[in-house]
Amino acid sequence: MTHLLELLVQTAARFGLNYGFLLDAYQRASLVNGALTSIALCAVTIVGSLAAGLLLASMLTSGRVWIARPARVFIEVTRNTPTLVQLYCAFLVLNMLLTQAIGTANPLTPFAWVVIVISLHKGAFHAEALRAGIEAVPAVTLEAASSLAFNSRQLLWNVQLPLALRFALPSLINNLIDLVKMTAVASAIAVGDITYASIMIWTQSDNVLELMILLLAFFGLLSFIVNCAGRALEARLRMPGYAH
Amino acid sequence: MPYTRSPVARCLPLFVAALTMLGGSVAAQADATLDKIQQRHRVVVGVLLSGGPFGSIDPMTQKPKGLNVDLAEDVARQLGAEVELVPVLPANRVQFLQQGKVDLLIANMEWTVERGEQLGFVPTPFYRVGGTAAVLKDSAITRWEDLKDQPVCTSQGSSYIKPLTGFGADIKAFKSSSESLLALRGNNCVAAVHDATLINPLVAEGPEWQNYRAISPELNPAPSVIWTRPGETDTQARLDSIVKGWHRTGWLIDAEKRHHISPPSPALVELHDKFQAAGA
Amino acid sequence: MPTDYPAAASISWPRRHPGKLLLAVIVVLWMAFGAPVNPAFVALLEWSPALASGFGQNIVISLLAIALGSVAGLMIGALSASPFRVARLPARIWVQVFRNAPWLVLIYFTTYVFPFELHIGTTWIAFPDWVKVTLGLALPASANVAEVFRGAMASIPDTQWEASRSLAFTRGQIVRSIILPQCFKRMLPPWMNLYAVITMGTALASLVGVHDLIDTAQIASNTVNRTGFTVLIYFSVLGLFFAWCYPISRLTQRLERRYAFS
Repeated sequence: MTHLLELLVQTAARFGLNYGFLLDAYQRASLVNGALTSIALCAVTIVGSLAAGLLLASMLTSGRVWIARPARVFIEVTRNTPTLVQLYCAFLVLNMLLTQAIGTANPLTPFAWVVIVISLHKGAFHAEALRAGIEAVPAVTLEAASSLAFNSRQLLWNVQLPLALRFALPSLINNLIDLVKMTAVASAIAVGDITYASIMIWTQSDNVLELMILLLAFFGLLSFIVNCAGRALEARLRMPGYAH
Repeated sequence: MPYTRSPVARCLPLFVAALTMLGGSVAAQADATLDKIQQRHRVVVGVLLSGGPFGSIDPMTQKPKGLNVDLAEDVARQLGAEVELVPVLPANRVQFLQQGKVDLLIANMEWTVERGEQLGFVPTPFYRVGGTAAVLKDSAITRWEDLKDQPVCTSQGSSYIKPLTGFGADIKAFKSSSESLLALRGNNCVAAVHDATLINPLVAEGPEWQNYRAISPELNPAPSVIWTRPGETDTQARLDSIVKGWHRTGWLIDAEKRHHISPPSPALVELHDKFQAAGA
Repeated sequence: MPTDYPAAASISWPRRHPGKLLLAVIVVLWMAFGAPVNPAFVALLEWSPALASGFGQNIVISLLAIALGSVAGLMIGALSASPFRVARLPARIWVQVFRNAPWLVLIYFTTYVFPFELHIGTTWIAFPDWVKVTLGLALPASANVAEVFRGAMASIPDTQWEASRSLAFTRGQIVRSIILPQCFKRMLPPWMNLYAVITMGTALASLVGVHDLIDTAQIASNTVNRTGFTVLIYFSVLGLFFAWCYPISRLTQRLERRYAFS
């Protein structure tokens, strides 16, 4: 294994790139940990954002103003403010206020805060896509279902959502790819993802270009995986009459 | 030594970004600094503006102010040049100096053996400070060794990262001291480690920090020096005489009082006495 | 369009939006009587010119980034629609690379890798950090504009192309006089959406040391050192970004609705 790494470092050195940190066990371990943390962050946030999006979309289309209005306000605020500022407000301000209120019983780690903030932020985008999908369900189908005595919850869960999901899937996949890229901001609050590990290495040894290439390759790979998974899902869920 | 890249590595960013306008330009390499300063009648100084008495921003005029700023302006005045202040962060200050973006660094950067080998510095220090940790009053931490395996907040590029890693602490490095202190208040780390001149006034004053205390002794008290690029002996000698003059005339002690820096550093008094005795 | 105006148009604005009016009245009363005694609010007023100039820096970065990105994106979009494979391929690669790269990584890349000064002939031109951030944001902007352009071109029905070819227009004339004017109208809403996203992306500039709104807020919070003020200033930063981006998103929605019928 180390022999392979040394070979890699030597080939890179011929291009003038200094990948020496790969040979140092401490720095290599921190990078690998960072990569695993990033992957875990992406996985948890994808699930969280889809759940948040589902909740917000059902609130938006519930038809009752006192549920739909707060959801709309929340969506407009999260979509029109930067993620980094939301993260700072949540982690630096809300977390501090929470700790002042309940002391050391505060269970939320920085990882948890990043998951919460990015899930809610992307959930707003998912909600918009799902709302467009729900509104694209033909009225005829809904009338037929309600004539078969589906109540409104069953209507949402069994008729609207499956169809809405299929309509909204391309937008949802785009949002998920954006989400994968957005997890890089976790480095701003020292979460220990791969971007943070890279920053720690380049502030000591000044090999920014090499680490950038590594980061771009890593995130490109993650986006590619999400994209392929998305396209496979699209193919599986394709409906006759709507395929293109 | 200056960071040099092979021609291929230098072309890589150009290729990726496809900016043809950079085709005719060459990355700037710094000339002999003193010549450059005298030629341009301008000295570019990197200062750390993290808020606090050493460097912050005046909200009225939005101009930098603080001890670092005063030092930079006096250096420029004595060199007969204009000063240009460039705000730096602990994470990028060394790079700015090495790339030539700034000529000098007056950025709360204490002398350590590694830094002394990488960069050049003015031999006479202008300050002396060590690190201390702010912890909760009822926390179990009283010595630096108690920080083993505990999450500790500090700033990226801080000189305390190495000794803290030596103690086995789990470092969480933020962009600046502001976020690090807020993270401490949010209980995301058991201690925030920064210069004693930042922490001590905080825990001493007012209602916000009354549940916190600082631990002693100071970690790695080290002289704060003005940093230059390696090999710039003329610049270092010239600045050395300026710094000695500050100590001799007591100007630094006045500046420290003027900016309400507490606790006042005993090193300044020592150096003042030493240089007054050495020669008028 | 006549169908946009329901019967509610005959009721005056105050009676249609009672909640917003009440909120506005409460805010004005609080600012007149409650606020001047609150030390956190006084400090916020003291720092607001600094915050405004920091936000100005963000806005300048966003405007320049979208301008550069649009110019580059239009060229790349045109290349990617070219009939020649040798022109299409680099354009596709550019779009793929810069749409899949995290913006933060691109900003770190342009800030740390490029030199800080350009030596052209005998003069030295400064290359300040905020310009590097602008370039870092212009790269994904150009990729997104190229995609928007390609999407708009693809949404023009084939019949337009066939009809114009039957009238003996050359390919260049078709694109310039017939397709492009229609494209620009369809591109406007997603382009404005992109502008809002780029403005929010300028917040990342604070992480590389550009002296923007967030950096100013952090210095202020450290200088004043009071919890109430810290809370207020971080939420004011949120509010400033919202105040700039929300009207843009509303305008975008209006434009989308208007152009949906044409």
